[in-house]
Amino acid sequence: MDNLVVIGIILAMMIVLLATGLYIHSVLLASGIIGLILLEGFGILPGLLGNEPFNRVASYTLTTIPLFVLMAQFILHSGLVQDIFYMVHKVSKGKNSLLGILTLIIGGMLGAVSGSGTATSASLGQVAIPELRKHGYSAPLAGAIAASGGSLSGIIPPSIILILYGVATETPVGSLFVGAFIPGILTMIVFILVMLVYFQMDRKKQQQVEEPVIHEVHTPEKLAISRLVIVSVIAILIVLIIFGGIYSGIFTPTEAGAVGAFVGFLSALVLGKVNFQFFKSSVVETIKLTGMVMIIMIGAQIFGRFVSLSLLPRQLIKLIEPIMDTPVLVLIAISVVLFFMFMFIEGAAVILMSIPVILPIIQELQVDILWFGVFVAVICTIGLITPPVGLSVYAVAGVSGISSGSIFRISMVFAVVAMVVVCGLMIAFPGLATWLPNSM
Amino acid sequence: GDTEGTTASSEDETITLRAATGLSAQHAWWEASMVPWMERVEELTEGQVQFESFTSGELVSVPDEAEALETGTVDVALVLPIYQPDQFPMAEVTMLPLNHSDTLIASKAWKKLLESEEELADGKTYSEMQFGDFKVFPISTTQEYSISTTGHEFNTVSDVEGTSLRTPSRIHEMYAAKTGINSVTMPAVEIFDSLSRGTFEGAFYSIADWTGYGFQDLFRYTLTGINFGHFNSFIGMSQERWEEMPENVQEAMIQANEEIFEPGAQEWINRAEKIIPENEANGGKFVDFADLDPAVQDHFNNGIEETWTDYAALLEENGLPGNDLIKMWRDLLIEEGGEVPESIMNLE
Amino acid sequence: MNGVWKAYNIFHYIKLAGIWISGISVLLMMLMIVYDVTMRTLFSSSIRGGFEIIQNYMMPLVVFPGLAYVYASGVLPKMDLILERLNKKAKKIMIFFMLLLELFVLVLIVQFSWEYAMSGLDRKTAFPAAGTLYPLYPLFFLIPIAFAMIVIENIFIFIKNILDNNPSMVMRETENKPEELL
Ligand code: NA
Ligand code: NA
Repeated sequence: MDNLVVIGIILAMMIVLLATGLYIHSVLLASGIIGLILLEGFGILPGLLGNEPFNRVASYTLTTIPLFVLMAQFILHSGLVQDIFYMVHKVSKGKNSLLGILTLIIGGMLGAVSGSGTATSASLGQVAIPELRKHGYSAPLAGAIAASGGSLSGIIPPSIILILYGVATETPVGSLFVGAFIPGILTMIVFILVMLVYFQMDRKKQQQVEEPVIHEVHTPEKLAISRLVIVSVIAILIVLIIFGGIYSGIFTPTEAGAVGAFVGFLSALVLGKVNFQFFKSSVVETIKLTGMVMIIMIGAQIFGRFVSLSLLPRQLIKLIEPIMDTPVLVLIAISVVLFFMFMFIEGAAVILMSIPVILPIIQELQVDILWFGVFVAVICTIGLITPPVGLSVYAVAGVSGISSGSIFRISMVFAVVAMVVVCGLMIAFPGLATWLPNSM
Repeated sequence: GDTEGTTASSEDETITLRAATGLSAQHAWWEASMVPWMERVEELTEGQVQFESFTSGELVSVPDEAEALETGTVDVALVLPIYQPDQFPMAEVTMLPLNHSDTLIASKAWKKLLESEEELADGKTYSEMQFGDFKVFPISTTQEYSISTTGHEFNTVSDVEGTSLRTPSRIHEMYAAKTGINSVTMPAVEIFDSLSRGTFEGAFYSIADWTGYGFQDLFRYTLTGINFGHFNSFIGMSQERWEEMPENVQEAMIQANEEIFEPGAQEWINRAEKIIPENEANGGKFVDFADLDPAVQDHFNNGIEETWTDYAALLEENGLPGNDLIKMWRDLLIEEGGEVPESIMNLE
Repeated sequence: MNGVWKAYNIFHYIKLAGIWISGISVLLMMLMIVYDVTMRTLFSSSIRGGFEIIQNYMMPLVVFPGLAYVYASGVLPKMDLILERLNKKAKKIMIFFMLLLELFVLVLIVQFSWEYAMSGLDRKTAFPAAGTLYPLYPLFFLIPIAFAMIVIENIFIFIKNILDNNPSMVMRETENKPEELL
């Protein structure tokens, strides 16, 4: 069958299946498998379905997913984060907007120790959403904050996306990391601003309906000063060990997942929270999240194979050839195409399938390869919170029970604003990405 | 798909072949061997054969290319047999450390090994024993592997022992164990980050391949004049798919392979020659093996000899002709101008 | 329906065993990496072949044994735009359609991953680490087993929807109620 016809059928099928509420991994698997059959016949399946699930999972780099989630679980069950949020609540003297800002900043900080936006979102969802809800954030907004905060791991170094890009284009990964720093912070700031607007809107709405503004039912039990000191010291130690360990070279960003989990476990031990129940709930939740992320990644992998074979990326790129004389237009067109691809497809897969096609165009336009890598990583990060395939949102929905649809309605706005502002600024001022690496 | 293949006996039907590699599109093997080969085949067949190519693991990842050929996921691919010592245990022979060789010497020896008619065991040639399921088009090996570090120098034997280096193959692990080097394995994508932060000191790597991971910015000390083998590869098709090709296409493919072979090898040398001055300008140091302390030289050389015999013994243990294979490889290398330690020369 | 529930309870224990294998594996994986980092930092020696063993043994053991439990727990995400707004009958038809589609996809994965595992057994697939070869093919069997268990779960859900009046995509609507977590 003709490629374009098959692509049309499969995209329509995807939208219908997603809307009817089929599990997202099944949508990806079904669309991928049926697409492959339509393109190539049954004969193509054994070579792709047989080994992909194992190959996708058997990856050292992906140990960060279970281990950063395990770290989050240990820290969560040690009561540490609740105490910290309590302290911040005290400090903010009832200014609840500060909690949302803090969550996004914590997301950015976690991003500096984690390479995977999905894992960070899941952890953040578990720790932050209950606290945000207690302080007047609607469930969808709280979900969107956790998802977008976690997605920052995709751009704030270390980042798996930047590593993949560096390998695919032979760009030094270290320079990419340095270059991504300012755009990463910029993305975080945009998320914070959009969040504040939403928070104010929510508040007005609640006041109009004359509902009690905030559920102050929950009065945190008084914490002893000594405990607050211990908690603060432990929290600072965790951050120091992870950041210090990575940046001094004692362990790699990947190994930081394991070290972080172990340090989280030791903290719980010090705080006297370790017992059988502690292990049971931490571990079961970790496996649930890991299984969820991995089964979607397997689906994305097989769907990605269909997309590759259908030559969809190349067809998309062909469309933009007539405007090659105006680089800015091409860049905007490429960003829009990538934005849509990242909407539908898991980020690493998009990088792998589009770079071989886009890179020659970028080189012809004489655009800086490093700049473009950071640019792609920003769009990819944003793609983690856009429907229908937004792994960060699914991770948060999975851990919090908040429906993914309602989170998407808000996170999509986060995404579009960040896309326009950050990408726009990057096109207008390329130095945002290139200045730091060039001056080091 | 299969349909084109079975009906392709007539000379004017277009044959579209799916070509893939897990390597990046800028990798020397793809850019300077596979792409020219495909272009030449298209030219020689006047467009009868067309290639649809997938790089960077877009369709197949390293080292699954051989399997993808067998299942028919792709029609033609760059196969990297050293990554699968369980399936191709005798492919690692080109990674054996040497006293002297270069890309051209090793590439020609590798081509001769693949095309050798000489019986290695059980009435079979080397290629029949290892790659019987494939149609093999030899391409160049990599440039020789060197040891490079982020600054750590080898002035005494104790500088060598306990140094952590990233090892890319089983042979290097054997060699590291012999010389007291601590071998580190990690995904290629993480090396840059770990090296730059001092998680370990250096790696066995070929200079021409540095840019793939940005190592030209990192390495400050490189040992030349001793040679830690050559990684190998070939363009492969499944026998079945190969036999479906019309005769004129088969001829075109073989002719194109002959034509691209040497320029493909030369590319490695060109890349290295471009990188070395750049690295030196960045403060990189290239130290000749002959200038090292004699005790350090002996230490490295003993490791070389033992690695050859250990590798042969390992193959023999598994019922493979290890002793004959290393002698065959030695002779081919010498023929092309390579050098090995004396005790290896004396093997009979 | 009673017999079905009895059978399902037995199946539940198998899934529990699976998630415990996964859980212990994740703790082991953490300890292995921490041990490796410690040894490297203090004694500049690391676990020989640690990276390959973690990647090829530990990761599959973390992910696959617990997968059926994860599936049954209802955490797997979906977009619920239409289903909840349908009447019971339409909802049931939709659920049957989705279950059949899931089964079609899952059965294909079971079949081909089984074939892959058998061919691995045939070739004695192994991976090199620290100069030795470690068998890899036994791990391949985790995949058809994991997905076959999800097939069984789906068959239970299918039977439940035939016998029971209330259409549902899960056997037990218990775990992960939003309120419990929030
Ligand atoms: Na990050
Ligand atoms: Na998306």
